[in-house]
Amino acid sequence: MGDLKLKNLNKSFGAVHVLHDVNLRIDNGEFVVFVGPSGCGKSTLLRIIAGLEDVTSGSIAIGGRDVGALSPAERKIAMVFQSYALYPHMSVRKNLAFGLENLKFKRAEIDARITEAARMLAIEPYLDRRPKQLSGGQRQRVAIGRAIVRDPDIFLFDEPLSNLDAALRVQTRAEITKLHREMQTTMIYVTHDQVEAMTMADKIVVLRAGRIEQVGTPLELFDHPRNLFVAGFLGSPRMNILKGRITIGDDRSVLVDVGYSTLLRTDVDSTTVAAGQEVLAGVRPAHFALADAEGLPFEVQYHESLGTETYVYGKLQGQSEQVIVHQPGHFAPAPGAILKIMPLDGRLHVFDPASELALARGRA
Amino acid sequence: MARATGLADRALDLVMALVEAPINAIERLIGRGRMPYVFLAPNLVLFGIFTFLPIAIAVGYAFTGGTELLISDRPFVGLDNFRKLLTCESYLVPGSCEESLFWTAIWNTLWFVGFNVAGTLLVALVTALILNRAIAARGFFRAMFLYPVLLSPVVIGLIWKWFLDRNGLLNVFLQMLGVPPEIFLLDVGWSRFFVVVVSVWFHMGFYTLILLAGLQAIPKDLYEAAAIDAATPSRTLFRITLPLLAPNLLVVLILLMIKSVQIFDEAWVLTNGGGPGTANTFLVQYIYQMAFAGDLRLFGLASAASVLMGLVLLVLTLVQLRLGKKVES
Repeated sequence: MGDLKLKNLNKSFGAVHVLHDVNLRIDNGEFVVFVGPSGCGKSTLLRIIAGLEDVTSGSIAIGGRDVGALSPAERKIAMVFQSYALYPHMSVRKNLAFGLENLKFKRAEIDARITEAARMLAIEPYLDRRPKQLSGGQRQRVAIGRAIVRDPDIFLFDEPLSNLDAALRVQTRAEITKLHREMQTTMIYVTHDQVEAMTMADKIVVLRAGRIEQVGTPLELFDHPRNLFVAGFLGSPRMNILKGRITIGDDRSVLVDVGYSTLLRTDVDSTTVAAGQEVLAGVRPAHFALADAEGLPFEVQYHESLGTETYVYGKLQGQSEQVIVHQPGHFAPAPGAILKIMPLDGRLHVFDPASELALARGRA
Repeated sequence: MARATGLADRALDLVMALVEAPINAIERLIGRGRMPYVFLAPNLVLFGIFTFLPIAIAVGYAFTGGTELLISDRPFVGLDNFRKLLTCESYLVPGSCEESLFWTAIWNTLWFVGFNVAGTLLVALVTALILNRAIAARGFFRAMFLYPVLLSPVVIGLIWKWFLDRNGLLNVFLQMLGVPPEIFLLDVGWSRFFVVVVSVWFHMGFYTLILLAGLQAIPKDLYEAAAIDAATPSRTLFRITLPLLAPNLLVVLILLMIKSVQIFDEAWVLTNGGGPGTANTFLVQYIYQMAFAGDLRLFGLASAASVLMGLVLLVLTLVQLRLGKKVES
């Protein structure tokens, strides 16, 4: 069974503490993506699960069995490396067979598994070629094939798409997702690309500086980021951040004043805030709508037309940060024009500037 | 410090000024396109005088007889020297050959090459595999194994001679253990054994270095993939490490083979000129003795033996290069 439990995991390289008290539960069959900026510890975490690094403290259990003292081979995992790590002197067939031969599988069983994996990945024509004679995309498939033939409890992917070009990356992304649907096996996937995380994951684990910032489904994280970091990391372009103050309405509703006559409505729990409290208000570019008279005055600087959508870059008077507004289709405001914009209902995120945590929501 | 730098700068300026004028003149004379050959010329001349010319002269001498030094004074004898070297009732029995010492030297050289190549390759490979791991004081060990390479062959020969002498360190040590002393260098078996040991000890550092460079070029993630693929250490060695090290092993094999055939100086010093008897007389020593050490200076015979040895080395190298291309593809 491919469920995984990490408990109070810590890892140090010498004096450098790279993972801090990581606790995580992954259910059997889940597709989990570890995402975060370079150096956040996501690859180290994956390598610890694989058994390629040992832990400084804490425990790892796969299928209820403590695997902390087991070698990589004994953990029933398979890994796809960023570099693919194919054996350059062996044919594709030998690459796929190597692990099974080491485990003393019967010849017929090895051949059957290779045939099946080759069919799934459409690499039958290349079985007798060397890795050097394959394109990047084909090598990638072979690397995945080498993992499939092992029939592991957990697949581990370490940034497997980063060496592919953009078109191939989109295609391979879809194929890995399809593979997961067919195999129903637990997959753990490391990437720094938030688009991969959003599109592939059942569950995303956001890491920063060796700590888990938030765990949840892609849309949970997108709609309700727990803190400013998660809010900024997921979603492209980034969430706009405005400085503001809390105002409490007559009906105990909580409003945010970002410096204009128009106040922004939020669903923050009124019992947790005080009037006048400084906050950061976050609105994703796509969650700004053009308003008529009532709205924030947005001065256009320039825009980028992508055909199906347009990003308008500009400033809100009195706010220092640049603000990006998304509009569907063609839209060409003149530089210097003042547009009125308003966040969509329920799409305003409010954060405490000191702790960077999202403020508690009230019952709407 | 600043003044010294200024002085060095001024010296450099002076040299450049002196060189610039003639270089510019040559360039005007022959054109820029031919300038590379001008810069190559000094080296080519030296190479020609000290390498290519002697080869040509040796080939010439191989067809002459007598004991005169100048080739103009020497009678042309055609293939006589080669005929003399190659006339044998059985090549397996040096005593049946007209030039029996030549064949003794050939057989001595062959067994030396066999044991020395196998021994050095094995020791260098094992050392490189160990030094490639994250062991303590790795830098120190790397330097230590390379150190003998820096010594002169004569020094190596003398050090080991003292060590193996009747009153040498080894016998002192053996006597402490209650083992009767042995005059190693006067025993045919022991002396041959120690010629190989000394040669392996002397040269292994260099080959270790080549193999170590090859080992470090193998990507670390292949070993991680092998670990996940449940490969045992021995299977990792034989299925991953050695196949990927094959190009370096081939380079080592070729260099080692050529170097082994050329065995002379350290063995000559160690065995007091090839002894006991002719047990350690090798091909190069035979050539040296014929040309320079005997009562008669048989330059023709020595040159003919050199030419034969050169041909054998050439064939060996070509075969190995051909094999190497197969290994790569």
